[in-house]
Amino acid sequence: MAEKFHTDLKALKKDTVAMAQLGRTMLRDSVDALVRQDKELAVSVVARKDKIHAMEVKLEEHCYQMIALNQPMAKDMRVIACTLKVITASVRIGRYGKSIANTVSDLSTKPHIANIMSIPHMAELVIDMVDDSVKAYETESLALIADFSARDDTIDALRHSIFREAITYMMEDPKKITRCTHYIMVARYLERCADHSCKIAENVHYMNTGERIEIH
Amino acid sequence: MSETTIISTSNLNLWYHEKHALQSVSMKIPKNKVTALIGPSGCGKSTLLRCFNRLNDLIDQVKITGEITLDNENIHAPDTDVVSLRKKVGMVFQKPNPFPKSIWENVAYGPKVHGVKEKCELDRIVEQSLRHAAIWDEVRDRLNDSALGLSGGQQQRLCIARTLAVEPEVILMDEPCSALDPIATAKIENLIELLKEEYTVIIVTHNMQQAARVSDYTGFMYLGKLIECGKTEQIFEHPKEDLTENYITGRFG
Repeated sequence: MAEKFHTDLKALKKDTVAMAQLGRTMLRDSVDALVRQDKELAVSVVARKDKIHAMEVKLEEHCYQMIALNQPMAKDMRVIACTLKVITASVRIGRYGKSIANTVSDLSTKPHIANIMSIPHMAELVIDMVDDSVKAYETESLALIADFSARDDTIDALRHSIFREAITYMMEDPKKITRCTHYIMVARYLERCADHSCKIAENVHYMNTGERIEIH
Repeated sequence: MSETTIISTSNLNLWYHEKHALQSVSMKIPKNKVTALIGPSGCGKSTLLRCFNRLNDLIDQVKITGEITLDNENIHAPDTDVVSLRKKVGMVFQKPNPFPKSIWENVAYGPKVHGVKEKCELDRIVEQSLRHAAIWDEVRDRLNDSALGLSGGQQQRLCIARTLAVEPEVILMDEPCSALDPIATAKIENLIELLKEEYTVIIVTHNMQQAARVSDYTGFMYLGKLIECGKTEQIFEHPKEDLTENYITGRFG
């Protein structure tokens, strides 16, 4: 029975990684749609929300069923606990992708202000963090998440910098207020995605070691 | 463990003939707590349990080295009275084993052996013990009926009452629920939770979920050795030893 459980656990992890990749791709595509002002791509990101939601329900059910039927302990229990957190974080990341995609139609009527500031650079760093946290979950490698605290600090600094820059443009020209507000919100969504990748990292650390850490 | 220790073993070894069944076991059993011993069949957990009331003395060709103390006194000291030790350290077995006598006689038997003669005092002990064992309400109107007419779960609680009647300090339980259905098991588990207020309980179980549910401390044994012992939540959430991890996640055993 234990063998069946562990085969099942591997399948659960594999499906969870697939879901995390869907969330990550929604974020990636939303940023590309924004930068390129590609409304069609933005619409396709929004359309994926139903799929990620369905995956969330299915995978959570799978976790609850495995707990109810097997009463897992030690690492097995920690893998399922971590998986539930990865599922939640991945849905949130996908939904922030959808929120960014929702800004694309408003931001595609004119060329971007100041070449969209540091948003593409910030997005690259955030997506790298998401990738590394999911990879760490998949491969159980703590090395991938060792520097997350410093990386998260960089993301916070970039969000603050975009906020200040956008305020400057709004003060210069009130006609830019709507668009700059969108940029501020996008930076905020990206920062939240980095926070979710930190949550995944914290849970991967717990999954591997049984010890709790907090990544600020 | 910061709690008061009631039983302590130090470098305990036991041989059955040539078989080295317990190997350098050193552990402390905290007072008024439930300690569970888990491990695969034949790992020595029942043997260790039976050391605590010297039940292994009854088996031929058993050799024991090392020390076991109860309340800081060596239980193998030459002046130890084994009868008095077994009064202090009661035991409940896997299969309920009531005497073929009335319910009342079953519980009163121990106190009688230890010299209590007055009927009213015996009545008091019987009622108190049956109440503590959470079976009084089910048997109060048929104390003179045969104990063999009770259900398996009731028989097991009667055996616990019989143990309690001689006012032990420690209760050893060797797979106390393995012959019982889930409802009777739940009653025994609830009872264990109540018993630790006044007694120290050491339970051997092959059911890890049961160990996790009822115990405060858990010791994992493997091939005669105590591999790891610690707070139950630590053992089941993040064991330190790979062997423990592999056993409780069902990778062997």
